[in-house]
Amino acid sequence: MQMTLADRLTAIVLGALGFSMAVGGYRMDRLEFRQIHPASIPGLVPMILGVLMVVCALFLWREAVRAHDEDKILSDGSWTRLGLTAASCLIYALVLVGWLPFIWSTGLFVFAFTAIFGWPQMQETNARLKSLGGAAILAVFTALGTSILFAEVFLVRLP
Amino acid sequence: MNALGDLGTELLALLTPAMIFHAAWSTLLGIIIGSLPGLTATMGVALMTTLTYSLDSTTAIMVLLCMYVGAIYGGSRSAILLNIPGTPASAATSLDGYPLAQQGRAGYAMGLATAGSMIGTLVGIILLVMIAPPLAEAALNFGSFEFFWLAVFGVVISGQLTADSTPIKGYIAGILGLMVAMVGSEGIHAHIRFNFGFSDLNGGIGLIPAMVGAFGFAEVLNAMWGRAGVLATAKDKSDRIIPHLADIWRYKVTSIRSGIIGTLVGIVPGVGEDIGAWASYVAARRTSKEADRYGKGSYEGLTAAETGNSAVVPGSLIPAITLAVPGSASSAVLIAALFIHGIRPGPLIMIEQPQFISSVAAMLIIATLFMGFYGLTLTRGFVQVLRVPYAYLMPVVFVLCVIGTYALSQRIFDIWVMVGFGLAGFVLRQMKYPMAPLVLGIILGDLLDKSLRRGLTLSDGDLTPFFTRPVSAAFVVLIAVSILANIGIVRRGVSRAFRRRGTENG
Repeated sequence: MQMTLADRLTAIVLGALGFSMAVGGYRMDRLEFRQIHPASIPGLVPMILGVLMVVCALFLWREAVRAHDEDKILSDGSWTRLGLTAASCLIYALVLVGWLPFIWSTGLFVFAFTAIFGWPQMQETNARLKSLGGAAILAVFTALGTSILFAEVFLVRLP
Repeated sequence: MNALGDLGTELLALLTPAMIFHAAWSTLLGIIIGSLPGLTATMGVALMTTLTYSLDSTTAIMVLLCMYVGAIYGGSRSAILLNIPGTPASAATSLDGYPLAQQGRAGYAMGLATAGSMIGTLVGIILLVMIAPPLAEAALNFGSFEFFWLAVFGVVISGQLTADSTPIKGYIAGILGLMVAMVGSEGIHAHIRFNFGFSDLNGGIGLIPAMVGAFGFAEVLNAMWGRAGVLATAKDKSDRIIPHLADIWRYKVTSIRSGIIGTLVGIVPGVGEDIGAWASYVAARRTSKEADRYGKGSYEGLTAAETGNSAVVPGSLIPAITLAVPGSASSAVLIAALFIHGIRPGPLIMIEQPQFISSVAAMLIIATLFMGFYGLTLTRGFVQVLRVPYAYLMPVVFVLCVIGTYALSQRIFDIWVMVGFGLAGFVLRQMKYPMAPLVLGIILGDLLDKSLRRGLTLSDGDLTPFFTRPVSAAFVVLIAVSILANIGIVRRGVSRAFRRRGTENG
């Protein structure tokens, strides 16, 4: 995607965010029943920030419209690697942790991540077994190490 | 003399076997983290903060400072050997470090970088001891009006200096940070704002989960998205690693100037080590007799960059300790860590803990000594560290991001915050939004909010004191000048006026 297009889309999102915050600040409880000073209402700074964000979004839009550069975003890396990384990390952090005991979820995540990204390009069975063995060893050490460190040393009740 | 005496006393007090042990491992770990592309100093300090909960405050601060110093220095390893800065702070180092490695002088380049980093940190420490106490004393006279402008100044200047392409993206990042700080219970009337019905948001968004996400998870995504570097292939022909004293002496002026520039850049809120390195590098090239060698393997260029980025570390601690305003993203995490360990940075630090600044300076000296020791003895060993594949490194980093974030309050919600900030941080970084103003905004949001409303309450709604009190007026002028300087029409008008005046006078 062209940077200028991304900037224009971001300007719209940020403008909407700023507008929402300004309206949120304006409509926020002014705590009149507590007889606070009118200049200290909780919505004052959110209102100002909302307006400032709208102004910045307008400037960003103007710069994006005027710019002629050919910069692209998210064009110099691997979408497959990014997708796999994001998916495995999100499944681990948002699903596995809290659903499985921490030691198991961590072991599973580390094994899967290392096996996927360390998978050898060559077809040799030995290389693949070695890679899976390495992933398993790292998974066991990481799961055990972090669990013992946080549960026994830092006295954290693991998720 | 009194400051130096206090420094000596604190240094002696810290030289216990336990503290030396902690300094030794944490500096080494910092160097390893810094040397690995994809792991930054801020990420190292943020993750390490989660591992210091059970340590006493002095040990925890020592560990975090050693990690910070080590990581900023460690970035030079991969900058020299891979042409990929281990941390953004080492970007300028790669300009001359990598050509030297290609010429077969990687060992000597790393030795020179070590000497430069040591000199930079020591210059910064001297300035820290000299500047911090009077600054803290001056800040005791600050009221709500001044603190409000200080917070605005921090966000504006950080947004302006750290933005890659256009300052507007820096300002937006800063405002986003301030908006994040508006979530949860506010500091004057304890009214809960923007919780959207989630009780988990009542306490606001924690700085540590946000930082670990923006600098940890986002870095994991960034590292896996990009391509790995290639080790400098030329065989190392260095006959020595320890730099010749003649080389260090020849560049003494460059070293001291870079140290001072780095420290001053460090004092500016939220600007950071990368700017310190670039500013020192540019200043050195402008005044150099061998400017044509810059970018092709200049010893002077390498020294300037490394001295500059290392001097930012003590420099960034000056506002962090005395004003609770971070000089860099890593020092923002340090402020959070100080609060966790019961130390309240800010103007009152000289009253509540007058020895604290000397203690921090002593810790930095110990970290510098270990940095020099490892830098000169383990030079070739670090090449092996750089060969660790991301497939093995990144899952461990992410596990630490998750459990470290969770451990602080033992809430699953904090993991969600970390993940959210990680995804947002990755996208924002790809779109060239700097992260430092965002972090600064989160830290300064509360101060800005409370100071503005308190100031208005004190003045009964009158805005005049915000502009007429001397320090406030100075801040207003600085902020106005820095914003106006970016507006094309104003800049062109000023330069036309100067040209016309010059013609009339000439």
